[in-house]
Amino acid sequence: MAILEIKHVSKFFGGLAANSDVSFEMVSGMIMGLIGPNGAGKTTLFNCITGYYPPSRGEIIFDGHRMNGLHPDAVCKLGMARTWQKVRPLAKMSVVDNVMVGALCRTNSLKKAREMAMEKIHVVGLGNRVKFLAGSLPIGERKKLEVARVLATQPKLLLLDEVMGGLNPAESEEIIQLILDIKNIGITQMVIEHDMKAIMRISDRIVVLNSGEKLAEGNPQEIVSNKAVVDAYLGGE
Amino acid sequence: MRPFMHNMRGTSTLPVLLAVVAVAALFLLPNFVESTYALHIMILIFISIIMGSGWNILGGYTGQYSVGHAAYFGVGGYTTIILMQYRHIAPWYGVWAGILVAVAIALIIGTICFRLRGPYFVLASIAVAEIFRVTALNLKKLTNGAEGILITDIPPFKIGDVVITDFMSKVPFYYIGLVTLIIAIFATWMLQNSKLGYYFQAIREDQDAAHSLGINLTIYKNVALACSVVFTSLAGSLYGLYVGFIDPSTVLALDLSVQIVMTCIIGGIGTIFGPVIGAVVLVPFSEALRSNMIAQAIIDSGLVSENSGFGFFLKEQLSHAHVLIYGILLVVVILYMPDGILGFVRKLTSKRRKEAI
Ligand SMILES: Nc1ncnc2c1ncn2[C@@H]1O[C@H](COP(=O)(O)OP(=O)(O)OP(=O)(O)O)[C@@H](O)[C@H]1O
Ligand SMILES: [Mg+2]
Repeated sequence: MAILEIKHVSKFFGGLAANSDVSFEMVSGMIMGLIGPNGAGKTTLFNCITGYYPPSRGEIIFDGHRMNGLHPDAVCKLGMARTWQKVRPLAKMSVVDNVMVGALCRTNSLKKAREMAMEKIHVVGLGNRVKFLAGSLPIGERKKLEVARVLATQPKLLLLDEVMGGLNPAESEEIIQLILDIKNIGITQMVIEHDMKAIMRISDRIVVLNSGEKLAEGNPQEIVSNKAVVDAYLGGE
Repeated sequence: MRPFMHNMRGTSTLPVLLAVVAVAALFLLPNFVESTYALHIMILIFISIIMGSGWNILGGYTGQYSVGHAAYFGVGGYTTIILMQYRHIAPWYGVWAGILVAVAIALIIGTICFRLRGPYFVLASIAVAEIFRVTALNLKKLTNGAEGILITDIPPFKIGDVVITDFMSKVPFYYIGLVTLIIAIFATWMLQNSKLGYYFQAIREDQDAAHSLGINLTIYKNVALACSVVFTSLAGSLYGLYVGFIDPSTVLALDLSVQIVMTCIIGGIGTIFGPVIGAVVLVPFSEALRSNMIAQAIIDSGLVSENSGFGFFLKEQLSHAHVLIYGILLVVVILYMPDGILGFVRKLTSKRRKEAI
């Protein structure tokens, strides 16, 4: 069953079509890779899906709900959570407090939120950073904090925007394992990533965006052998 | 060995003990202090702490820098005093009415202004407060305009037939102020340890991240404003009753809004005791300026001759220059103690520990 349906979504910034007529579906439990060159409109699509701004045209259906016009907080409550390409730690709050803010989406009890937060902090491997201020973490740990925080909101669908961006190979590998672990506990994911090897490894299906349009969709083998994709994107590497 | 025990919540017992001793001392103080001037300064400090704590909830914890809180201070004060003076409603009912009116107005203003972010919100809050000041100046029937309202007398506070106080001295105001400020501090502590407190701080740290983590910005900013305004309004009522006079240029002025913000910034915003420290520093300082004590001291010390041009300037103009001096003080604090006095002291004491809290 489709957990997310994107139907003919367009987003215009003045004359610029950051997304134009994008359609695809996601099945529950899968990992969808979303790739494309810089400026292809990947982050814009995340912003439209999560209610950061409304799409100019088209429709987004999540878990049976029409999402158009919903604000990010309502989207989060429905069970969809996103991380930010440019990380947004709550800098002057500790790691555990950051994750608790996410957990408080589902409970009013600080005690329960703290337990939930500690669990997620250990899942992403920040167990030795619990009381550190989020603003004091290096980039790799900030990215993990982003993931812990959204996991704490108990999402059905997770949108990860370049969580490996700026990380060294060892850290990237940890994130890859983390994404696979998250898949194993049954959370559906859409992953934006520039690292081709990583995206091929983790994705069940891949959507390629180029200049705002959907260029191709298919499983990883189909994508690497797609001529248009190779020309537009992979060839350029 | 550690110097003092830590209880389960992680707060050390020493500060708690200190606070208890301080509160006890403050309760006993009027029995030993004869000087009404000393009591006067204490009461002004108490009121300043109450309004600072109020602002701190919105500005310090939620990160919404209102520079128009005089509006709520004034609305609270005017409501209480108008009700008492023209409708003969005793102030211990009036203050609640003041809170209700101030909060109701705040929610209308908040719903409009919270769409704005950063400097735009600051400007809007200043503009709104100016609108209130001009309105109070012109609604002469209600507020008596620029002449203000002089309180003729406050009815004695009775429980049954027993007169608790007749408000003839400063002492009852001292105790009311003290109790209210303790409530304000306790409320801040409660907030800091609640879901609301987490949500407020998340909004302060990153509004977009907070929004995407399920926090309804409009609702929680307005809740923060309402909590904040409760104490600001209380401070306004208390101030009006204590001074016995209320007019737009004291309770609705931009000066006052700035002073509220300064109290928090100097003490340390977003901390429970920041407003306390800010008030303890700022109130005596501004009193000294106003009463020309500082200028006189400089001249008496022989640094500057009374007859020189500079000496003349000090004596005649310094008391009028308090806004300028506030400005300089603010710049110094922001440059050298960005987290206020409290943050500065904390940094000094915790240099060894590099990690958080
Ligand atoms: N708020 C905005 N206002 C105007 N233009 C925007 C806005 N957000 C994005 N754009 C433009 O839309 C296009 C798509 O941007 P987007 O950030 O979605 O690309 P992306 O695929 O995420 O790129 P990258 O890989 O660099 O993150 C770009 O040309 C960008 O400049
Ligand atoms: Mg992007």
